[in-house]
Amino acid sequence: MSKSRLKHKVPGNGRKTGILLLTAVLGLSGMTGSVSASSEQTEEPSTSTPSGKKVVLRICNWEEYIDLGEWEESDTIDLESGDIFGENSMIDDFEEWYRDTYGINVKVEYSTFGTNEDLYNMLTLGDVYDLVCPSEYMFMKLMAEKQLVPLSDSFKDSSNPYNYYTNGVSPYIRGVFEDHEINGEKWSDYAAGYMWGVTGIVYNPDALTHEEASTWKVLGDPKYDRQVTIKDNVRDSYFAAVGALKSDLLLSTDFISQPDYKKRLEEEMNDVSPETILSVQDYLQDVKDNVYSFETDSGKADMITGKVLANYQWSGDAVYTIDQAEEDDYYLNFAIPEESTNIYFDGWVMLRSGIEGDPDKQHAAEAFINFCSRPDNAIRNMYYIGYTSVIGGGDDSRIFEYVDWTYGAEEDEEDVVDYPLGYFFSGDSKDENYILSVPEEQLIRQLGAQYPSEEAISRSSIMVFFDSEKNDTINQMWINVRCFNILDVPIWAWVITALAVAALLFVYWKMRQRTKIYLGTQS
Amino acid sequence: MHVLKFSRKSLGIPYAVFLVLFVALPLLVLLYYAFTNGQGHFTVANLTGFFTDPNTLGTLCYSLAVAFVTTLVCLLLAYPAAYILATSHLKRKQVLILLFIMPMWINFSLRITALKELLTVFEGNLARFPFTNAVVGMTYDFLPFMILPIYNTLSRLDGSLIEAAKDLGANDVSAFLKITLPLSVPGIVSGVSMVFLPAMTNYVVLDMLYNSTYIMGSLIGSYFSAYNWHGGSMIALILLAIIILFTLLTRGMEDDNQNAVGGALL
Repeated sequence: MSKSRLKHKVPGNGRKTGILLLTAVLGLSGMTGSVSASSEQTEEPSTSTPSGKKVVLRICNWEEYIDLGEWEESDTIDLESGDIFGENSMIDDFEEWYRDTYGINVKVEYSTFGTNEDLYNMLTLGDVYDLVCPSEYMFMKLMAEKQLVPLSDSFKDSSNPYNYYTNGVSPYIRGVFEDHEINGEKWSDYAAGYMWGVTGIVYNPDALTHEEASTWKVLGDPKYDRQVTIKDNVRDSYFAAVGALKSDLLLSTDFISQPDYKKRLEEEMNDVSPETILSVQDYLQDVKDNVYSFETDSGKADMITGKVLANYQWSGDAVYTIDQAEEDDYYLNFAIPEESTNIYFDGWVMLRSGIEGDPDKQHAAEAFINFCSRPDNAIRNMYYIGYTSVIGGGDDSRIFEYVDWTYGAEEDEEDVVDYPLGYFFSGDSKDENYILSVPEEQLIRQLGAQYPSEEAISRSSIMVFFDSEKNDTINQMWINVRCFNILDVPIWAWVITALAVAALLFVYWKMRQRTKIYLGTQS
Repeated sequence: MHVLKFSRKSLGIPYAVFLVLFVALPLLVLLYYAFTNGQGHFTVANLTGFFTDPNTLGTLCYSLAVAFVTTLVCLLLAYPAAYILATSHLKRKQVLILLFIMPMWINFSLRITALKELLTVFEGNLARFPFTNAVVGMTYDFLPFMILPIYNTLSRLDGSLIEAAKDLGANDVSAFLKITLPLSVPGIVSGVSMVFLPAMTNYVVLDMLYNSTYIMGSLIGSYFSAYNWHGGSMIALILLAIIILFTLLTRGMEDDNQNAVGGALL
């Protein structure tokens, strides 16, 4: 059983959502008006100190994606190494820390965005930010467009104790950021990770077995007619459709046992050949008639209120959904599809248009990344928003302690199993220092979503950024799926329409006739 | 004493500025995007593209169908209500009118969420009746906009006309059909235009009630989130053209009827 988490605040879980606090406060189900405008966070003006130098740092992050403080006493995370408590917002704390550490006043102008595409449109329209936190495919796009400032060498200097990111990032995440590149440039040259997660299926164990939920085919399965939800965006839906269509191939032993399995998997999952796009379109058109809804935010509420049996979900939101349901004594599980799961990373990148070569600004921006990566701050953010930080802690054991504090089994608990997380914390999957002892059910519940097992990670695939031509084709495919095709209109509907139009015209004509009579009598 | 010169013209300046900034300029921007491609060259491909793609045409038809049925249902519900309100001599008439208007004072998304729960009770699974949901949601949202103009027209109707008709031997039904109904056409027309056009684009209702088929509004949104501002602008422009066409058609009718009212009264 997970300890109390997120009870003090409506976490909302900012990834791609427009949050209305009412959703959870009133217990009403998903009622976002799909509004995703950016909202300005008002900050108290910091008092200027005699030093006079002042740096303004413009940050744009996902909605509800950072600790805003004001925790209640009961939210204190009482680790053995000390309490962790979010009194003020992370942003205020950063301003204070930066002044104390470097003697420079920094003023953070913090704003938020709703989707990666919104952020991109905001940038195109001329909004200027220094530091933003898009998902991997969007920072790949920004990299390809040469919009980013590379991270400095001093940021990567592991001898500096204030370089919390470089010293604390999980070896697994570091590897991903080193291994992936676009146009010959590594992600790690430009981006520092913030949160990460996988996609999967939250399901009701009374209605589905774990095996039934562990495949992307569940979304198109007529057995769950109108009782499953899918994500309302083209990339997530595309991934699921490819997973379902290539299920046989992806699960075959020949495929899995080949030496370059991981590379081949990423190729298959990012297959945007015209034939695949066409079959994805056909498949999604069937799925459209099988699902309850295409949702961005409402799926969580519909899952908790039992309107649907299974829900395509990002792991952070899955944790939130399972937590919330648990408060009503309603138990939900999380399955990571066997074919493959989409692993995603949100990362901090600095924009050329904002930094403009100003070394003070860049220093402040990199310091902000480091401040968020300090283990206690990473824990605060994780606790507050429900997603998984990329920080493992390095020599600092507090992150692992926190995971143990949250999920570790009580002493007298039965059905306890070992859960090795060495792959994430030390890079050695057999590392005995990082084996959790957890209730077995947690493997397919919050823990399995927040820190997926190494086995699940081994079949994960990123979804790359597609060039604009491919992107246009996929977007057009998506519009085709969602639109009503005029060729599907049956004959009888045309006949009725023709009759209705004729009737309207007749009434219109009659009206004018009548008018003429009136006018006629007048003159 | 110095007297401020306040001519009528200077009073109009703020409005002129407003119109230029928020009406004329955006329209020009819209026109620019609608008739250019990604490279900024002039093109009509966006226009021809819309009318040759069965999916966009289908969306237009679907939107028209939703809007048409919504308008019809609104009219059928609103006319009797407005008629009763206007002709009866109820003591608390104002309260009744208030009751019809009051839903408009409550947040829209809250109302639709409540409706969602209600529909779930009645339908079991909301997702099985997407079209019905869209129509019910929009009707709920737009009904006051239909009732009010019809009520206004009917309540200003000169009762002596109906008395005269009855003096000349008309029964209730023919007095209604020949006098009341034609004279209330202006109200109907403005009610219809206030319901029909928003109903074509208000995709939030569809989203919230889990109708996953796009209507015109959602189509524009999807073009913009795919960075295709040109296609999106063209659809917005096409909608504008439809609205102008509709207004021209009904405006003629409204004006003629105003004349007719005047003529009949003379």
